[in-house]
Amino acid sequence: MALPVPLRDSVTPHELEMIASQQLIEIVPLIAMERTAFISGAYGPLRPPSKAKIPLWMAVNLKLKKKCHIIPPQWLSVEHLQDRLAQEVANPDAFSDLPFRFTEISKVLLDVASDDLENPDQIRTLLKDLREARQAKSREGLRHLDHSELGLTGLTSMEINEIRPFFVQSMSLLTKLARNTEATT
Amino acid sequence: MYIPPPHLAQGKKSYTNAYNDILSAFRRSPQTSASSVILLVAPDVDSLCAARMLASLFKQDDVLYRIIPVSSVQELQSVKDELATYAELHTLLLVNMGNFIDLPTPEWFGEFDLGVSIHVIDSSRPRSMANLFYPGENGERVVLWDDGDAGKLVDLRKAWETLEFEPLPDSDDDSESEDELSDEGDVEEDGEDGEEDGEDDDARPANGKRKSTDGNGKARKRRKTQKPVYRVTRDEVYQYKQKLNKYYYAGTSYGQSAASTIYILATVLERVDNDLLWLAILGLTFQYTTARISRDTYEQQHTVYHDEVSRLNPIFSNTETSHSLNSLNPDDLSVRPTDELRFMLFRHWNLYDAMYHSSYVASKLGIWKEKGRKRLTGLLAKMGFSIPQTQQPYSHMDMDLKRALVKKLDDVAPEYGLVELSYPSFMRCYGYHSQPLSAADAVESINALMDFAGGARLEIEMEGHRHGGEWFGGGKLWEAVGYEKEITSAKSTMGTNGPENAQGNGNDDGDDEPVALEWWKKNFWSAYDSLTDIKRLREALRLAMAIHKSIIRQGTSIIDKQDIRTMRNHRVVVLTQGPDLVLFHHPGMLTRLALWLIDALRDRIPATVAVGRNKRRDLPFIVACLNESKGTYVVAGIMASPEFGDVRRNTFATNFLNASQATNTSIQHTSFNTNIVEIDEKDLKPFLEVLCA
Repeated sequence: MALPVPLRDSVTPHELEMIASQQLIEIVPLIAMERTAFISGAYGPLRPPSKAKIPLWMAVNLKLKKKCHIIPPQWLSVEHLQDRLAQEVANPDAFSDLPFRFTEISKVLLDVASDDLENPDQIRTLLKDLREARQAKSREGLRHLDHSELGLTGLTSMEINEIRPFFVQSMSLLTKLARNTEATT
Repeated sequence: MYIPPPHLAQGKKSYTNAYNDILSAFRRSPQTSASSVILLVAPDVDSLCAARMLASLFKQDDVLYRIIPVSSVQELQSVKDELATYAELHTLLLVNMGNFIDLPTPEWFGEFDLGVSIHVIDSSRPRSMANLFYPGENGERVVLWDDGDAGKLVDLRKAWETLEFEPLPDSDDDSESEDELSDEGDVEEDGEDGEEDGEDDDARPANGKRKSTDGNGKARKRRKTQKPVYRVTRDEVYQYKQKLNKYYYAGTSYGQSAASTIYILATVLERVDNDLLWLAILGLTFQYTTARISRDTYEQQHTVYHDEVSRLNPIFSNTETSHSLNSLNPDDLSVRPTDELRFMLFRHWNLYDAMYHSSYVASKLGIWKEKGRKRLTGLLAKMGFSIPQTQQPYSHMDMDLKRALVKKLDDVAPEYGLVELSYPSFMRCYGYHSQPLSAADAVESINALMDFAGGARLEIEMEGHRHGGEWFGGGKLWEAVGYEKEITSAKSTMGTNGPENAQGNGNDDGDDEPVALEWWKKNFWSAYDSLTDIKRLREALRLAMAIHKSIIRQGTSIIDKQDIRTMRNHRVVVLTQGPDLVLFHHPGMLTRLALWLIDALRDRIPATVAVGRNKRRDLPFIVACLNESKGTYVVAGIMASPEFGDVRRNTFATNFLNASQATNTSIQHTSFNTNIVEIDEKDLKPFLEVLCA
């Protein structure tokens, strides 16, 4: 694997993307399909031009074959993201409220369905800004690293995955140190 | 059989049905592999675009396919033999080939399993009657995708069917009708052996007339059958034959481009997007810039595409100065309408060079003489462009000059006789990857990639390296990225094996054969890749410029040396030497040289020839180029048209065949264009003499 050593015990981003692709998303189908049974469940029927909810993996497949148009979720718009970014910058202590898997979903949608989004390049810059702001805050959280508990509310799945190995290992080390100091005193 | 386009179908089978048949055949056959659907593609820009469009349509439908480039009829024969062994084949698509070959006959695809359906998407005309009207299952499985022309051939259908299948009055036994069959078949086929042509056909009714009267025929027939009833009279037979001959021998021309046909299919399937639209535009532009269709046809098709462009790219609707367009945003992949000037690739080198190398300007101003060059600078000066400005690469020219260019040209150019300098066309933006590229430029670079003969060495000028440039650079040799030429590596091995020179020579000759076979295939694939890779396309622009320069060099030297011999019916040029001779082995390059010469000489009647009663300007052109390594001449015949933008039907196919038969020489067709043949060195002189007599 090409990941650095500390990340090898945890989930890879591709796996996270796959897990996130199970979420349902709304589409406008261009073909008709009956209610079909898949391994994860039954989806459909697809009756153009009415909208339908199907898993993201299926939506991506149909989109690549030009058989549907994807409707972006509410939070993937310029105003919403700008709003969140303002919140991030305003509160240096707390994380703003974003969907748990927003990184994966926005990556997939920008890759496949950028023509269904409004201003995709602006969305890209906003997402990058959000990431940098939140990253700064998690680095701050390092300072408060304790052996027993750490509260970081509002982190999303990719960010958690990123810091998990390091934090877990350092917390166990700190626990050991704490036990030693207790033992000696 | 043929299928009409969707707007003329009125309930009958059309493109979508044929396409859905392919899909269902693919999905329900048990042995499906990558060889189930095979596309045979001719090596020109139009078929390349059509193949690419089909490939993306198939990919969206999850159909496995395979593309095989085929360059000539002989190659098609060998590919066909190979295909006969594929058990899982069930669909063949022939792109820009096969219109003039009798596909349902046993010699071609008649022997194939009846489950195999053959679709022909070909822009060349005329068509073989057998393909259109062959009855029975064998004929049903050969499907020609028609653009509306075949509906007008109904009376020819009657003629052909009668000649094929009715017992004819002047036949002494049934085998005569088979002779008729093979006669018609032979007449259309391009082949090396001498075949019967119209003279035999005319002889037959004569034979019939000379033969015994009906009484004797009846007597003969009475032995075999009871009451012979001839439903066709000899006169009708003669008439039918004349009709068919007139159709076939009128000359070759081009109908709707293959890319347009596939675009219509995609429109009906409602799966068009900017990529498919762009490829269809490239196919149309290719037909226009290589003088395959006339200006009027181009404008008709252009309006259709203009509507499509505005439908798919609604943002940009106002037409401001189209030469300084930039992409709106980094993801902008839209297509926009623009006006294209007739200068070759003028956005990519400086204005002076572009005008110098364009055939239209060259002819009007007489560029190959010093006086002409002065006139060109004079024209530029009148338009308000100073000489240093015109020597700047286009992108460095002043913005206001660029904007004013079209307007000034329209004002000043008519004084010099340059009218109709612009034509409407399109350009495509590539986000922030590169500058927008116009359709004509894209066609030029793809054409350059495909026409570049293997083994030729061309110096490409790098930007900024002119006149010594910064690093005393001149140019560098063209090397297709990722496709190394074996010739260069073979030469290097020869260099290292000093004492084993004899062996090295032997190796080199051995290497030459497979290399010579493969270079055009490599060109095909690199051109195919460049259709979607803008970086490659831009690099190929440099190659296109170098090719143009060499064409101009060769053309001007021909005119200067007055190498053009004007015979009674044709003008002939024979190239035996020159620095770029290797380049002109390729039929495409030879055609371009001929087109340039036609344009250059359109208004100039050579002083050496007395002006006769017939219009000298309309003389067709024959260009022959020597291939020293193979000892043959590649000969191309092009029709000249009196006006710029007009096209005539090309009758060289039959002329060549007649001449070769008369002189008993063997000619080979090296491509699907019947006006380009290859002939042995020693046979050239008698061949030309007969041709021009």
